[in-house]
Amino acid sequence: MNKSKKHLSNRVFVYAVLWVVSYGGSLLALKNLTLEKEVGIVLSMIPVLTFAVFIYKFYRGIFIMDEVQIKIQMEAVVIAFTFGLLMLMTLGLLDLVLALNKEDWGYRHLVPYFVIFYIIGLLISKRKYNFDHEKHD
Amino acid sequence: MKNTIKVERAKKNWTQADLADKIGVSRQAINSIETGKFIPSTALALKMARVFGTPVEIIFQLEKSD
Repeated sequence: MNKSKKHLSNRVFVYAVLWVVSYGGSLLALKNLTLEKEVGIVLSMIPVLTFAVFIYKFYRGIFIMDEVQIKIQMEAVVIAFTFGLLMLMTLGLLDLVLALNKEDWGYRHLVPYFVIFYIIGLLISKRKYNFDHEKHD
Repeated sequence: MKNTIKVERAKKNWTQADLADKIGVSRQAINSIETGKFIPSTALALKMARVFGTPVEIIFQLEKSD
């Protein structure tokens, strides 16, 4: 990996961390602090902005990936999307029968699952293409 | 599809990283292609042929099952 690719890859990672931290921070603040409605709305929008920047950087990063890396990313997103859809469908149907507790299964609780599904997709796809294999004689 | 990338690399005494640098892809991508896990695009196959100085059909060959 040349320097510019590594640099961009690091920046994408930094923006991903920034999004996770801002989301977690907003979540904690909104849950634990008594805030005015306007302040709460502003706080809710901060992770939206950091996520938008992260996705933009990720999208830009795709243009400098090689074709194997692009295919791995595509497959990871497809796997995450499929698992996510499956989870939403299952929870939606179960909610009709069991009336799921929103404190356990609210929208905010579903976000980490999508990240986990993406990471699972990435691992499956990398393994499929032997991408992390160390042998390079 | 089978390929002779490893043989061609050995002739030139190149590592996977050397080949990756020459054609502008990651070392891991070369590994995926070399082990037959990923079939490269025509452009990438032609780039490999160019750096090896070998016709592309020598590097990549269809198998009976393809």
